[in-house]
Amino acid sequence: MNFSRAFARNRGAVVGVLLLLLVLATGLSAPFLFPFSPWDMRGVPFMPPGEMGFLLGSDSLGRDVAAGIAHGATVSLMVGAVSTVAALAIGVSLGAVAGYFGGRIDDLVMRSTEFFQTIPSFVFAVVLVAIFTPSLASIVVAIAVVSWPPVTRVVRAEFLSLRTREFVQAAEVLGHSRTAIVFREILPNALSPIIVLASLMVATAILLESSLSFLGLGDPNMMSWGFLIGSGRSVIRLAWWMSVFPGIAIFLTVLALNLVGEGLNDALNPRLARRR
Amino acid sequence: MTLLAVENLTVALPQGADREYAVEDVSFALDAGEILCIVGESGSGKSVSANAIMGLLPRALPVRRGSIGFDGAELTRLPPEAMRRLRGARIGMIFQEPMTALNPLMRVGDQISEVLRVHDAPGGQPRVLELLAAVNLPDPPSLAGAYPFRLSGGQRQRVMIAMALALEPRLLIADEPTTALDVTTQMQILRLIKEIQRRRGTGVLFITHDFGVVAEIADRVAVMQHGRIVEQGPAARVLDAPNHPYTQALIAAVPHGAGAARPLPDGPPVLTATGVRKTYMRGGGLFARGKPLRAVQDADFSIRKGETLGLVGESGSGKSTLARCIVRLVQPEAGEIAFGHVNLRTLSRTAWKPFRRKIQMVFQDPFASLNPRRRVADIIADGPVTHGTPRAEARARTTELLRLVQLDPSAAERFPHEFSGGQRQRIGIARALAMQPELLIADEPVSALDVSVQAQVLKLLAELRDRLGLTMMFITHDLRVAAQVCDRVAVMQNGAIVEQGVTGAVFASPRHTYTRTLLESIPGRGWVPAGQSGHKA
Repeated sequence: MNFSRAFARNRGAVVGVLLLLLVLATGLSAPFLFPFSPWDMRGVPFMPPGEMGFLLGSDSLGRDVAAGIAHGATVSLMVGAVSTVAALAIGVSLGAVAGYFGGRIDDLVMRSTEFFQTIPSFVFAVVLVAIFTPSLASIVVAIAVVSWPPVTRVVRAEFLSLRTREFVQAAEVLGHSRTAIVFREILPNALSPIIVLASLMVATAILLESSLSFLGLGDPNMMSWGFLIGSGRSVIRLAWWMSVFPGIAIFLTVLALNLVGEGLNDALNPRLARRR
Repeated sequence: MTLLAVENLTVALPQGADREYAVEDVSFALDAGEILCIVGESGSGKSVSANAIMGLLPRALPVRRGSIGFDGAELTRLPPEAMRRLRGARIGMIFQEPMTALNPLMRVGDQISEVLRVHDAPGGQPRVLELLAAVNLPDPPSLAGAYPFRLSGGQRQRVMIAMALALEPRLLIADEPTTALDVTTQMQILRLIKEIQRRRGTGVLFITHDFGVVAEIADRVAVMQHGRIVEQGPAARVLDAPNHPYTQALIAAVPHGAGAARPLPDGPPVLTATGVRKTYMRGGGLFARGKPLRAVQDADFSIRKGETLGLVGESGSGKSTLARCIVRLVQPEAGEIAFGHVNLRTLSRTAWKPFRRKIQMVFQDPFASLNPRRRVADIIADGPVTHGTPRAEARARTTELLRLVQLDPSAAERFPHEFSGGQRQRIGIARALAMQPELLIADEPVSALDVSVQAQVLKLLAELRDRLGLTMMFITHDLRVAAQVCDRVAVMQNGAIVEQGVTGAVFASPRHTYTRTLLESIPGRGWVPAGQSGHKA
């Protein structure tokens, strides 16, 4: 079955991809559309959308909200992607080890995973960022540290079931090394749920980053959607556009990622999708 | 008197399927008190026919033409509500998988009385007990209060039969009711169905793929191929003088139990196992000790060079575990597994590696034993490459191996899902042979295959064995297959080898009672397929 055709059968997923491409294009073209720093004062403060050349209005310091959203798109997507990759690296390797070896090692890994899961993830992220001073790197690390446990659990479950499959036993009988068995035989067959999970994790990471910068824990040198909402919070009755437009940006991006995740799930697990 | 008359039944398949109709112009009739067997291989449309009678066809498979007359009513035109009243009350059905056909959260007695209640039939508890007794279940009162998980497969199938019989249906449809069961249980269920049919005059439509079962219980037989009935007639006539070439081919493919008449190899032993033991801990955890389950206990056997040793037994007898102990997929806790002069049991993973070349395995499930994400060429060439053969040489051998297992060399570039079950099993055999092993362990290599494919794969294995001088350990639950393939057999029960010896001798004069029971349970053992001789037992 052709993957792209299976994916395209889910209309929502196609819409999600288009939205995501739109956000990505906005982020990439920000330096050309708004060839100035989003922190620059561009005119009179509190201008409603459409006036004085402000497409989406200006904020309390006369900064362009549209420019902020465009420049913030890069930050959001990058934080989402990088922290997800980092979380996957931790989660997949730990899950693979736990699921493949089982027994004591499995116990050890899973108990430490549970230890991380008992700490409320957002509070943990706040603490980490606060300790390591807010910067892009510390935010990415904090998000990765709080979001790997679910990956570990999913990967472990996949490995546990795949490990007993006959083709893995056959590889064992052929005398393959453990590394070869894990990377060549098991992992490729466990990829589908990992990919689906990853797409949803990017969405969660973007939300986490926004929440952190909303609380003032964002990178002070980077414009981000959460910061925009945070700075507009106190004046929301005076200048609704300061919070609403970045909010819509977050909403659309997260929605798009969820739609894509759903589509990937349907395309990669065709048997489940067709039953509906 | 004709109870069921199916005429020109045609059921369409969804678009894009490999043929237009699931079943086409199928006609047969069934009298009261008669057992009609529908035989065919997987995908021949036998289950679709049965489901059409029950009105249980999925929406994607609409009835296009034909009629199903049952007791004066035309079933294809019956409204769903009327059909629902008919089902269970006048037509009973038994399914293949007793493990999933019962509601796991309901007591057995309640499930049977539910059938009575739904159809407003009188009886209640006494009737439930009567039914449980009628299907020869021990201690009906306590059994009625039990949950399905406490019951064995055979007991569950009896409960299913009790449910199907609750309202004394005139017609009983049994869709492969014994396929998931062990031979001894299968025999009991077959006897039970036969007895019920005789006692109550029920018409039985029995669907099976096994000609042994047909020989055991059928009055008449209909043979299906690609959605059509190619031959039907009285059981004795079809079995002993089949007209249609397909029927002839099917019957010829039935493992006939005649041992390959070859001299017993008397080379040096390749593998000698003494006192091999494996115990699993069931349940238990941090605070409680689990219950020990003796999967293999004190297994002693040896395999001589060039010999084929059969390991036979029912499910759970430990035969697969024993095989897995030899190749170290399972670590036995005691005993000696001597390969040449080396005890394999105590070797480390690294020290084991050179022996991987010499001992190879063919697995049971052709759909699970090949990595779906890798090309056939890689699957076959990987083993030798791991052991130091240059990649180019291994790839060149792959072509040769594919030809050896009678596959086209172009298969190398394709993925496993593009092949049928039999072809995949050939790929699995090629993978094992790529290592040029001294000992080949085949774990139920044909039990997931249709009879005709099964016969081909068995023939291939026999040819390869003779050509390459392979030593084989052949694990099977099917005694007919064992008799055909093996020089010597070891019979396993509850983890222990209860009897072993030269195949012919064991089958002709079994010493252990369990072996005797197994042999008596071979379905259709009295029937010798036409043109085959040397059938024993």
